[in-house]
Parts: sequence; structure tokens; C-alpha cells
Amino acid sequence: MFPSKICNIKKHIVAAMALGVSVYACLWTSVAYAQTNELAAWEEIEARGVNQDVYFHAWGGDPQINRYIQWVAEQVKQQYQITLHHVKLTDTGEAVSRVLAEKSASNHQNGKVDLVWINGENFAAMAKHQLLAPNWVTQLPNFALTDPDNNPAMGRDFGVPTQGMEAPWGKAALTFYYDSLLTQTPPQTLQQLSLWAKQHPGRFSYPKPPDFLAMSFLKYALIALNNSQPDTIKNRLYQPASAQSQALLLPPLWQYLDDLHPNLWRKGQHFMSSGLALRRLMGDGELALAFTFSAAEVPAAVARFDLPDSTRSYRMRDGSLSNIHFVAMTYNAAHPNSAKLVVNFLLSPKAQAKKQQASVWGDTSVIALSQLPAAQQAWFSPPAESHPSANIVNQDSSPALSEPHPSWTNVLAAQWLLRYGVMR
Amino acid sequence: MITAKSRFNTLVRSSPYLMMALLVLPVMGGLIAVVLPAFGWFPVLGHTQFNVSGFVDLWQTPGIGYMALLSVSTSFISTLLAFVITILILGSYFTSPWLGYIQRLLGPILVIPHAAAAIAIGFLITPSGMFSRLVSPWLSGWDSPPDWLFPHDAMGLSIILGLTLKELPFLLLMALGVLAQPELGHTLRAQHRVALSLGYCPMTAFFKVVLPSLYPFLRLPILAVLAYASASVEIPLILGPNSPPTLAVAIMQWFHDVDLSLRIKASAGAIVQIALTLFLLLGWWLAEKLIKKLSQSMLVNGKREYAGAIMQNITHVITVMMLTIIGLALLGMVLWSFAGFWAYPDLLPQTFVGQHWQSALQQMHTPLLDTLLIGGCATGLAIVLTLLTLESEQHTSKTTSRLTSVIIYLPLLIPSIAFLFGLVWVLEQVNSHHTFINVVLAHLLFVLPYVFLSLASSYRRLDPRFSYVAASLGASQAKIFWQIKLPMLLAPIFIAAALGLAISFSQYLPTLLAGGGRINTITTEAVTLANGASRRTSAVYALVQMLLPALGFLIAWALPKMLLTHRE
Repeated sequence: MFPSKICNIKKHIVAAMALGVSVYACLWTSVAYAQTNELAAWEEIEARGVNQDVYFHAWGGDPQINRYIQWVAEQVKQQYQITLHHVKLTDTGEAVSRVLAEKSASNHQNGKVDLVWINGENFAAMAKHQLLAPNWVTQLPNFALTDPDNNPAMGRDFGVPTQGMEAPWGKAALTFYYDSLLTQTPPQTLQQLSLWAKQHPGRFSYPKPPDFLAMSFLKYALIALNNSQPDTIKNRLYQPASAQSQALLLPPLWQYLDDLHPNLWRKGQHFMSSGLALRRLMGDGELALAFTFSAAEVPAAVARFDLPDSTRSYRMRDGSLSNIHFVAMTYNAAHPNSAKLVVNFLLSPKAQAKKQQASVWGDTSVIALSQLPAAQQAWFSPPAESHPSANIVNQDSSPALSEPHPSWTNVLAAQWLLRYGVMR
Repeated sequence: MITAKSRFNTLVRSSPYLMMALLVLPVMGGLIAVVLPAFGWFPVLGHTQFNVSGFVDLWQTPGIGYMALLSVSTSFISTLLAFVITILILGSYFTSPWLGYIQRLLGPILVIPHAAAAIAIGFLITPSGMFSRLVSPWLSGWDSPPDWLFPHDAMGLSIILGLTLKELPFLLLMALGVLAQPELGHTLRAQHRVALSLGYCPMTAFFKVVLPSLYPFLRLPILAVLAYASASVEIPLILGPNSPPTLAVAIMQWFHDVDLSLRIKASAGAIVQIALTLFLLLGWWLAEKLIKKLSQSMLVNGKREYAGAIMQNITHVITVMMLTIIGLALLGMVLWSFAGFWAYPDLLPQTFVGQHWQSALQQMHTPLLDTLLIGGCATGLAIVLTLLTLESEQHTSKTTSRLTSVIIYLPLLIPSIAFLFGLVWVLEQVNSHHTFINVVLAHLLFVLPYVFLSLASSYRRLDPRFSYVAASLGASQAKIFWQIKLPMLLAPIFIAAALGLAISFSQYLPTLLAGGGRINTITTEAVTLANGASRRTSAVYALVQMLLPALGFLIAWALPKMLLTHRE
């Protein structure tokens, strides 16, 4: 009975989905009854979700990512006749305020935001104000491909449990890049960075908090500077930031920054508001060293002439801050079923493999490759020919540093602004 | 026939009220939705008691005084500079064909969105910018960009440069619009000629004869410019310092902050912003009164010459400098949009490529269409409402009351940052499903005043004798409106339409907020990309943004001529 049921379902499920679902089904034949129930539920979502609009609020500052989302829109149009609208945000906070405004206007059914690309602080804020729909991610057949049982990180956003409010979409790690014509030996650790800045005054900077990249740099520095502390103190980084833990962990950071700032771009008197400006300043030749969370933007920017051909990428030896970014559904999404179909497609091997290609976006896949057949695993291997900057030095040897508890972000931003935010 | 006539009259009579409602309701609704949270009423976060903690928070913000000072000083100085340069240019070139050339050269600047202009100016003055490249390395010895603090200087000099360059074309165009009115322009030019024949130097003649009659027509545009500058976001965001930024930029950042309780502080900030803007407007008005009083005796003292030649030379230098800056900025944008890699200190890119245009144009068609549709709807509505309101004014033969004329300019005088966030909340209550209509209505708030500003004086100054003659021959008011007034006003109507389109094309915050981000125009795309990392892509968008309204003005200039020759 079970195989015939599967065959039946297959008729209804569109081609690209079928493989993923059958892999998923094969893995779990022992819980066949529950599975068929879930499949029936999914079948219903599919039936209800087709032929609607989905409003995906996602930061729109990178043409490469915008093009990828456009491709996703074409795909879901073909598969489900879903019209995916990419609402381009300059700041994800805009989507947060929109949903909040809707909630205050008692619009609990017909929200303008279906999906949001989100993580960290924004997620914590939305979760706190109950602006997201819970427990829908496990309904997605493709979510199993991330192997959540063995990868608890897929269910935690900066240490906060996601409770099925958001599905993982991609992974990123802090990657540095430099102009090899201006410096041959870029700093390999945070301590070397300070020395390097003394030798190359004005050629390094980081953005102004609370910019995302700025916070990432500060968190990297905070973790690296406290690395030699005993574990009991270090582990406080992954707990809510109390006054005591701040007194233990923050002084080395401020000392380091006091020392670093006079050697920064504009002598540390001015910090760019947007993290993306770092890339523009690299292209202008004002900076010789910068960093990013999307390493693939570097070779892509070289190809578009936004960065010099002499650009190279690497990771710091003392560790790279790593995190996962997610797609969340709002509690008042007007098209929840269609939104689930879209997110399930985002998690499909086809979409994830395409996203990982450096020429497309270069965002690391969240799928556990062990969950895929060999033929599909091959989709994820990089192409042979690419710019040298696509080859990240130390990629494997640089230890991954987990994001501290989100409360540290507020503490760092507020204290940084008090210390350096207003010129004296 | 009678019904058609009375229908026209009813329409005409009701239009002023409709116009007032379309302007007052959104602004007032938006303001109320900001005032309530400013005083602590914010039910979403569970705050339902009135208090002043938002203002206390605001007061304790580090650098708050500096933020306010920066807003006030940059807007006041830039408006004063733009005004002085406008009258210097008018005075120096009043009888010269150069006035027309300068108008044509500066006209396009009016329609460049603030963000794009800021980026273009930023490119000129950054350490790796055009100015620095022009003198490197042969003069300066710089092989890599110097580490100087422009833009983003703490004094706001870069903001002042950006604002002045954006305000100057607007004021100049408004002044030339006044002078283009057949009656008034003719009279002023004739009076100027008389003054010249009495031996006044051209500059003195302008200041003593033309300016006193011209200024009253410029007062509202100047106040609008001042109000806008005091609360504008794009230019200070891109060219200004950020430690701390101007008040308006800080308010926007607080509104967008993930920490939702900052909304209360942001709302309090919006109230302070309104107070600052009112303070500036009042200051300008007082300064104007003072200058008028002090200069009264000078007007009639009969002195023919006040170092006119020196002033004229200074004007030449300023004009050339302005045009050079604008020219280099435009050249820079064109170069960036085609640039391959462009290393410092090369004056030109190493290669020229078309890929930036190609990939941008592929993604552009939907936003382009939306831009045109929204601009067309908002401008069309604004023109119809303005014409009918002006016509009703003539039916009842009394000019709009002082209150009404203030209301018309309300959206320009009240900082948009103060009421737009509230407006979104109001729209959410009333009509959350037709985003397109919301965006058109939000644009109308800003398009309508400009269209009214640009049409009203021509309409009011239309020689009433034409209507009297037509009426005495038995023509109905509708017929006079359609067949006499409109054809005579064709040129100003087209100019107003082009201006309206340009204003609509350049709206960023209203599109973003009223559209809920669902509607992308060329401008929202450009600002999003401007915050991004590629100068090349944003150069393409900025150029498209410039081409669109330029096309509008070209049509506005050419079409009435064609239509009128056709009629003849």
C-alpha cells in the first residue's frame, strides 16, 4: 500500500520536488504512518499554495543576490504559478517596523510581508514581539536535508532557539580581503592587525555600529581577545550579557580599539555608516584591507571592475565569526501556504547548489551533503576556473567562532557609541 | 447644455475643498500618529500612559545639541547661499542671453534625485575623487588617496555644498518662471530698461527695481527650500558626518532601529524637528523684515553704482565654479557608468565597458514603468485640481485666503520625516490593499504644492479682459475655461506638469513608506544601490533618473510650441 501511495503522490508533486521528497521518504520508511500523514498535509499545502503572490522582504543592496532571487521567482512561477515579489529593503528593520505597524493596526490576517530574510538582532526583536509564525519549518520536506538532528545550529539563530519560526537559508563566515599590490603580507591574527595598521596608517577601517559588519568585527575582536581567558569566563559570551560578565570581557576590547583607532582610515574620527562602503573604498584605493560576510562578492566585484584584479581573500588564523541566515514567515502572512512552497524550494538541492556557485551568489549551502545522492552532491563542487580571490586562503584551517548571545550586540553597540560615537 | 455647464460649475466649486482634504488629512493624520507616541502613548509596546520620557531620552542622547545645530546651520547657510547666488546670477545676467544658457545648464540638476546628486558630489570631493585626481600626482605628489576628511566633515561643509547645488537650480527656475509670466516679466524688464536709461548700473538696477517686486514671488519657494533642507535625509546621510549625524538622519535611524522602544524617542525627535524647522522659517522671515527696513533708504537714495563691476566678476567666478562642479560631477557619473577598473590617480578608467548598463537595464523595466505610472497619475491629478481650484478662485472672485495658501504648502513646510511615519500607520487603517493608490496619494502631497506654486501666479495674472470680452459675447464660464484660458496657459501648464513629474520621480521616503516597499521606482532602486558597494551600478541608475525628467522638460518645452503653431 505504501509504494502505491507514494506513486499516487508523485503524480501530484512537481518534478524537481519529487526527488527530494522520495529521498526524504526512503530515509524514514520506519515511521511510514506519520510520514504519509505529513505528506498528505504537505500535499494540501501544495494544493492551496499554487497560483498566488508571495511578498519576500529581503535586503536589496547587492545586484548579484537580487538576480538570484529573480531566478527563484522564475522557478516558483514555473513550478507553482507563484508570483514572487522581491521587496528590496535597505535595512531589514524596515520590515520589522512594517509588521509591527500592522499588528498595532490589528491587521492579523492580511499582512503585506509574507517572508523576511533575517537573522540575529532583527529575528530576536521579531520573536520577542511575536511577529513571526511558529512551528512551520518542520512541515517543509526539504528541511530534513539540513540534517537538523545532527546540526543543532540549524535551529538556533545567534544562540536563540528558532522554534520553527524561520528556515535556514545560507551560511557565512567573516572573510578578509586585501589588495596584493598595496600589501603582500596581510595580518593573520587580530594582534597582527593592530601592528599592520601602524605600518599602513589610514588603510583599514570598519563601519560604524550598529551596522551588521561593524558588529561582526567587534564580536570577532571580543572573542579573539578573550581567547586566553579561562573557559568559565569565555563561556559567558554565550549567555546574556550581565554587568559582571561585561566587566570581565569588555576591557581588553576597548583597550585594543583605543590603540587601533588612531591608525584607521580618517584617523578613526569617522566610520562609514554602511558596511558595503568598505568595498567601495577598497575599489577607490583608499583602503588596502577590508572584510565581508559574503566571500563570493569579492571575485564577483573583481569581475565587475568594482575591485582591483590584485584582490585576494583569506580567513584569519585566530578564527572566523560564522553564522547562519534565515527566511522567516510573519504571523499575519497573507499567503502562508505559498510562502511555505517558496521556502521549501529555497531549501531544495537545485536552489541551494545554484546559490553556492561563486558566479551566482557564492553563499554556502545549509544542506548536509551526506543527505544527498552522489549525483546531486556533485552540483555543489566549485568550477575549475575562477579568479584567485575566489580561493580563500586558510578557509579550512581557520576555526569557526560562533556568534555570541544576541544581548552582546546591544551592549557592544551602545558602549561603542558612548565611547567613540560622538567626537570630542 | 445647461446640465453640462452647471456640472462644470459644481466641480469647480467643490475642487478647493477636495484639494484641501487631500493635503490636510494625510499630514494631520500623520502628525497625530507621531505626536501620540512622542508623549508616550504606544499601545503596541504596552505604553498607554502619557508622559515625556521620550523627550527625556532625547535630551540625554549624546551629541543631541550638535545634531540640532548641524541641521540648523547647514540648512540656513545653504539656503542663504543658494538665494544669494540666485539673485547674483539674475542681477548679472538679467539682460544677457547667458541667463537662458545658465537656466538650461542648471535645469537638469533640479531633477537629479538628492541621493544621486550627493553621490556625484561625494565622488568629486573624496580623497580619491575627481578633484584629487586632477592634481595628482603631478602637483600634489599623491600616489594613493590622501587621508582627508571630505566628505563627512564634522562642520557639514559637504552637506552645505550638496544642498546649495540642489537648491540653486530650483530657486533660479522659480524666479525665471515668475519672469516668464508675460505681464509681470514684461513690466519688470521694461522698468529695468528705464532704470538703465537713467544711468543705473545693471546690477544696481536689478537690486533696486526688479528684486523688490520679484522677492514676494520667491518667498514661499525659499521657505519651502529652507524647510526641506532642515529635515532632508539623503544628502546629510551620504555627505554628512555620522558622529553624530543631523537630527533628521538620527530620527530616521531611530525609527528604523530594531529596538522598537526607540520609536518613542524618534517621535519626540520628530516633534523637535518640527520646532527647529519652524524656528528656521521664523528666523528667515524676521531677517527678511530687518533687511527690508534697513534697505528702505538705499532704494530711493538715487545712488547708481555699488561696485557693480566687482560683484559681476564675483558672480562670473561663482557661476563658472558651480558649472564646473556640476559638469565634473555629471562627467564623473557618465564615466563611472561605463568604467572598467579605474585606479587612483588615473584621470580616466583603464577600459570602458557596457556591462553595467546592460545588466542594470535588464532589471529596470518594472521599476521604470511604475515610476512613470505613479508620476503620471500624481501629476495629472495635481494639474486638474490646481486648475479647478484656481478657476473657482476666479468664479468667487476672491483669492485664496491666507490659511488656504498655507495649507497648500503644508507638506513642504512640515518636515516630511515628521509625518510620513505616522501617515503609513494611517494608510494602514484606511486602505492597506491598494498600495499603488497609497503611493500616488503620498506623491500628490509633494507634487501638488509645486504644481500649484508653478501655475498659480500665471493663472492669477492672466489678463481678465480676455474673459470679460468672451463673457460679453455670451461664452459660458466652462467655454472660457476650456477655449480661452487653457490654451493661453498651455506653456505654464506643461512646465508645471514637467515639474510635477520630476518631483514625483525623485520621491524616496514617501514611495518607500506608503508603498510598503512593494512598489519600486527608479529612485528607491537607486538609493538602495547607492548604499551598496558599486559606484558603477548606481551611476547608471542616477543617469536614468536624470534622463527621465529631462525628457519631461524637453516635451514640456517643445509640445506647446508645436500645438500653438498647429492652432495658428
